[in-house]
Formats: sequence, C-alpha cells, structure tokens
Amino acid sequence: MPQFGSDIFLLIANWIRGLFGANTYAADVVMDIVKFIMIYVVLVLAVMVFVMLERKVCAWMQLRVGPNRLGPRGWGQIIGDMIKLMGKEDFRPDNVDKWPWALAPMFFLGITIMVFAVLPFGRGMVPVDLDLGIFYILAISALSVLPVVTAGWASNNKYSLLGGMRSVAQMISYEIPLVFSLLGVVMITQTFKTSAIVEAQQHVWFVLLQPIGFVVYVIAAMAEINRAPFDLIEAESEFGCGYFTEYSGLRFGLFYLAEYANLFLISAVAATVFLGGWQGPFLPGWLWFAIKVLFMVFLIMWFRWTFPRFRVDQLMHFGWKVLLPLSLANIVLTGVGIYVYQLIFPGIGG
Amino acid sequence: MLRTDEIQINIGPQHPSTHGVFRMLANLDGEVVTKVESKVGYLHRGMEKLAESRTYPQFIPYTDRLDYLAAIAANIGYVQTVEKLMGVEIPERAEYLRVIFFELQRIASHLIAAGTNSSDLGGMTPFLYAMADRERILDMFEMTIGGRLTVNLPRIGGIIEPPEEFWPALKKFVDDLPGMIDEFNGIITGNEIFQARTKGVGVLSKELAEGLSITGPVLRASGVKWDVRKNAPYGIYDRFDFEVPTGENGDCFDRFVVRLREMEESGKIIRQAMRDIPEGPTFAKVAKVVKPPVGEIFHRVEGVRGEIAYYVVSDGSTKPYRLRLRGGSFINIQMLHHVVPGWKFADLIAILASLDIVLPECDR
Amino acid sequence: MFGKGLIKGLGITGKHLFNRKVTEFYPEQKPVLPPRTRSSMYLDVPKCTACGICANTCPNNVITITSGKDENNKRVLTGYTMDTGRCLFCGLCTEACPSKALHTTTEFENAVYVKDELLWDMMKKYKADASKQEEGKDNG
Repeated sequence: MPQFGSDIFLLIANWIRGLFGANTYAADVVMDIVKFIMIYVVLVLAVMVFVMLERKVCAWMQLRVGPNRLGPRGWGQIIGDMIKLMGKEDFRPDNVDKWPWALAPMFFLGITIMVFAVLPFGRGMVPVDLDLGIFYILAISALSVLPVVTAGWASNNKYSLLGGMRSVAQMISYEIPLVFSLLGVVMITQTFKTSAIVEAQQHVWFVLLQPIGFVVYVIAAMAEINRAPFDLIEAESEFGCGYFTEYSGLRFGLFYLAEYANLFLISAVAATVFLGGWQGPFLPGWLWFAIKVLFMVFLIMWFRWTFPRFRVDQLMHFGWKVLLPLSLANIVLTGVGIYVYQLIFPGIGG
Repeated sequence: MLRTDEIQINIGPQHPSTHGVFRMLANLDGEVVTKVESKVGYLHRGMEKLAESRTYPQFIPYTDRLDYLAAIAANIGYVQTVEKLMGVEIPERAEYLRVIFFELQRIASHLIAAGTNSSDLGGMTPFLYAMADRERILDMFEMTIGGRLTVNLPRIGGIIEPPEEFWPALKKFVDDLPGMIDEFNGIITGNEIFQARTKGVGVLSKELAEGLSITGPVLRASGVKWDVRKNAPYGIYDRFDFEVPTGENGDCFDRFVVRLREMEESGKIIRQAMRDIPEGPTFAKVAKVVKPPVGEIFHRVEGVRGEIAYYVVSDGSTKPYRLRLRGGSFINIQMLHHVVPGWKFADLIAILASLDIVLPECDR
Repeated sequence: MFGKGLIKGLGITGKHLFNRKVTEFYPEQKPVLPPRTRSSMYLDVPKCTACGICANTCPNNVITITSGKDENNKRVLTGYTMDTGRCLFCGLCTEACPSKALHTTTEFENAVYVKDELLWDMMKKYKADASKQEEGKDNG
C-alpha cells in the first residue's frame, strides 16, 4: 500500500529525468548532480537541527532553557551562529604546516559526505545503491582518522598533537568491533546492499534479532566519531580542544559541521541496519527514516550529557577486552542461530 | 615499558580545569606524567600585608576574598581569632547562628567541589545540578546579610540576626539535602565510568598526608581521623553530635565520597543547631573602636578545604601588627608532585579536581 | 552488575529533562531581591550630618566627604562621592552610620561604559531621585 507522500521525491526525480527524454546519459549526469546537491542540503539542514537539538536537550537536562533569543523560542540561534562563524577572520597561526593544516577540515567533511551516497533515505531513495554498501560505509568512514591526525600534527601545538595521537589509537581500535557488530546483520541478510537490508526488515527489525550487535554498534560508533563519553581527543578539561585547538572561524565551522554530520551518519546507519530504515506504517518512508535518526541522535546526546569521560587506557581495554569479544561472540551466536533456523525451516532463506 | 621522548606541556594559568589561575608544568612521556611542577602566585594580593594597614573590623571583608567559595569559613575564623585576643564572650544565640552559617557554607562549597569534580572528568550535567542546589544556600545568605559570595557576615562580637523568612527556607533546605545527596550518588558516585576514573587513582598514603601536613577532606580521605571541630573544638562544636567521615584508600574516589558524607554530617549539625538555638541577643558589648590588648594569638577552625588558621600579633593599636594566615589549598597542592608522577595525564586532572583547590586562598 | 549505575544516571538526567527550569529570564523579568541586599548605596542627604564615620570605617577609602559650615555654625554636607571602582560592597559604612543616612539598596544594574561613571556623586543621585519622586507626585 503506497503511503501518502512517500513518493514525492521519486516523482520529482522522474520529472527531471523526463525533461531529457531519450537522452539517458544526460539525465544520469544531471541526476547525479541533483543527488549530490540534495545530500549536501539535507546534511546541512540536519546538522542545523542537531546542533540546536543538542543545545536544547543539554539545557533541559541541566535545568536550563538553552538559547532563547533568536527566532521562536531560540530555535533560530543556529543561523546567527553560522553567520558569526562565516564572518570571522580566516586566521592562520604562525608556524603551522600550511597546506595540511588548511586541507584537514575539508577532507574531514568531504569523507563524511562521501558516505552518505549509499544511505537509503526512503523507499527507492538511495543516491547510489552499491552492492557493497555496508562495506563502502565502513571503508570510507575509516579514512576519517587521517584528517584528524593531520590536523593534530600540522597545528604545531602540543595539545593538538596529543589529541591527534589519541585519535589514532581510539579510532583504529574501535573500527574492529564496529565492523564485527554489523557483520551479524550481513550474515542474516546475506547482502551488503543497504536497500536490501532495509527490505529484509519488513517484518522484524534487526535490533530484536541482534541486540548485542546493536549495543556494540552504538558504543563503537560513538567512540568512532569521538562523542562523549569517548571524546578523549577533544577532552576540553584536559587539553582545551584537542586537535582543533588552532582552528577558528570557517575552518572550525567545517570541523563542527563534520562532527555533527558524523553523528547523523552513525544514527542513519543504525536506523538503516538495526531499526528498519524507512519501514513503518502510515507515515511516508523518508519521515520514518527521519524519526528513527532523530531518536538515535537523542539517545546519543542523552549519553553524552550524563556520563563522564573514559581514560585513554580504559578506553583501549574496553574496546579490545569487552567490545571485541562481545562482537565476536555475537557473530558465533548469529551463525549458530542461522544454522538452527535452517534446520527447522529448511528451504527458507537464511 | 616503552620510553619515548618527553614533552613538557604547560597546563594553566588559563586552563578549563585548573580552577583559576593555577599553573602546572607537566612532563609527559606519551600519556604518562613523569614530573609535575606546580607554579602558584598568579593571584597574590598581599593579604597579610594589607591586614597591617586595616583596622581589625576592616579586614573582615578581605577574608571573604580568600576562599571565595567558602567566605564564611574564613570570616568566622578571623572574627573568632580577634575575639579570643580580646577575651570577648559572644551570646549563645550568636554562637549557634555562626555554626549554622558555617555548616551551610561547607555544604555550598562541597556541592561545587562535587560538581566540578564531575565536570573535570567530562560529565558536565551534575555541575549544573550542584549550582542549582547551591543557589538556595546563597539565597539564604542574601536574605540575611545582603551578600551572596563575599558575604562579610560575622562582626567582632556577634553576628547579624537573620530575618523571619530565613528559618522556613533553612528548614526546607535541610529537609531536601538528603535528596540532593542521593541524586549526586545516583548520577556520579554510582556511575561505573566515574568509579573507573577515580578508584585507586592518585592514592595519597596516610604517612605522606600527615607528613605534608595536609588537612581537611583530603587528609580524612586518606584515613586520618582529624577534624578540628572534634579534636580541638572551637566555638560550641563540642555540643553537637556528628561523625567525622574518613576514607580508606586515599584515592580520588574517597576524597569525593568524604565530601558528600561531610555534607550529610553538616546537615545533621544544622538540624541540631536549629533544635537547640536559644532566643536572645546576637551581639556582645564590644567597643566601637576595636583595640585588642598587646599580645599574640593563634586560632584555627576547620575550614572547608582544610584548616584555616590565623596568627595575630597586636601592639595595642587599632591595627594588627602582623597577621599570618594559613589556608588549606596552598598546603594541599604540595601533594601533586609527590603523587602525580606515574599516572596518566587524564589522572592528573582527576587528582587536581579531587583536591578541590581555590586559588585566591592559595596565593593570598 | 556493570551498567546499573549508568542506567540510574540516565534515569536522573531523563527525569530532569521534564523538570521545571531554574533559568531566570533576566532582562524581561527582573529578580526581586531581598530588602537587605547590598547592591547599591543610597545617601539620604538631609539626614546626613557629615560626621565622616563612614569614610573612616571604609576599608578601601571609597568615600570622600567635604563639609562646610552654615550660618548657625553647624556642619553641613557639601560633597559626598563614592569611588565604587574600589568598593567591596561590604556594607560596613552603612552599619557605622549613626544617623542611618547611608543605606544599601537593591538597585543592582550598576554597569557603566566609562570608568569615570564609577565615581558616584551621592548628592546628585539624591537630587535626581527626589525630583523624580516629585514628578511622580505631580503626575499622580
């Protein structure tokens, strides 16, 4: 049953394609450009919402009201903040390593945007439906450690350097449980394709079949994007601001944007892989997707504003001694589960 | 263990978790601190010298500005010193009021200590809860004397009588106090990450603590049962029934828990004081111009961060000939370079947070 | 069990999410301060006998008094300034005042743009206040 409004974006896409008639090559090129712009627009809008949501949620938890000056109940504050960041002088400290320092924030954001290409935002709304979608997500997001360590090194600042050092250890060691936690789902669906994974959750969400995988994923992903309680590489009470101590103005804004884009990313992946993506009754698919992403974002914010930060060696212990065995056990359990399932219902897919 | 090149980093005087203008030079081997040097004195104002050019009552507002989180502790300590020098007996009611305000100030300061301890470890939210709870104490100070932070509350010879509306507010606060402490226990003490960060970290042994003449909650967390209120009672503290909470291990966690338990004990003292407080005047008869006899005097009180002691030499004039004061923070800082080496950089912050120093008191 | 404390903490912050907020909406809603608040000084000029006790009590020499003689050879106040840049707002001067002419007020918006404005001329302040009250009377 097609739900009301669920096909709006598909209709628009078909209309654009129709403009080019039989010239499918031109239509494809235009569509790719449109998709890229759409990803960027969605990303920026989502980040604006998340930043405001974070400030509001943390304020409410702390018995405050948060920003309340600009716009209705202060929700316009983010626009003022953006204008302020853009209007600032592009200041480069002396003795930084010029090119790496300047390029790091751009790469950081660029890598994050690349991952959004394979996320299913709604029914049939995957910008590029790769067969190796999950693999692509993991591979590209693993790159994001590079700009961070570049920024830390190029800043020529001891605090930044320490932040960058920590980031390498942290992001690489949490990459492994992150991959393994998603593997359980891949074993059940037997595909890496994101749209197929969402299709497979029509009757039951994988959070119910893979509770351990979900928990490990959320923890590892939070560590992967350096959200509190794993925000060791920024750790403002330890080294000021970590790897972006020396950045200001628009460059700082890019880091900030990328950080929230990463938050969007892990929430979107969690929604896609574990929470049924755009599947849901009554409402259009893209709205369901947005609701699930917002729920995940809220959950992660809730953690951030409740927990203190780990220490660096405890973080490593937790990653290697708790999360990794847990995710491996989850894979074994999933394998056994699939085998038993196939014994009971032979012939039905695994 | 693998050794690498050491880097020296400068923490402070502008740093989010040095609680003011404290500066440390830390040598780091990777994440491990090999050496730490503390540099104090950025807030030196020459308080002891200032006292020599002020009359005795005029110095009371300056004692506010020693430990801005516990102004009343320094106030009362100073005022009692001068009274002891002059041989003034103050009325019963004034003594009880001083106890009530002293313990309220202790609660207010420990609330901040608990909150900042959490925020230094990365949990920002409990700090705001602490601030909201402390606000009620500050409101009580404000309705009594008109000041909130630098209250300038007691006078030589007595204390101001609080207004009518003070007593219901105090009763309500004391009743709510266990709930507040429960909330802290729930959100900080019971939190496994907090325990992992603090338990066994920065252990200050009993011998070292005594050897460095460390006082206050930091000493008691190391297992030494020493509290001036119990061991050398001043004022009317011998009339109250309260425990001196001590820790076992002397780690950061114990220092945190000792403060929370001290808040409970302070609540107990306030409740007893509210029950027993007599009616009557709150000022003794003291000449308008305070002129203590020639002599010298030493007096100490159990301040919030350690013992606060005053040594006053009088030459019979209206101004002290010499005034020496001791605050807890300055002496407690010494433990840093004994304890910190070998711990991680993040532990350095945790240890400093658990010391709960206030820099104006340290630098004076 | 590991995690119990974490969940309890989440419960506490989650509960506070819906609690009443304690923020004061300052410029729109002015706080009502208790009457004893020491935020500002006010001199009731007719009551002042220019005795100078307040200036002597002040720890920081904030108060400067000039006085003259009137026709009955009685001391009258001619100038009274407070350098509030140095003032601790300790309230010792108001307690010392024998004629209760100097007292604290709850007027707390004392921020100024230039340093010279920190020098309060208490007599001018009193006059401005008195004329304002008279205006109020005329209008009322």
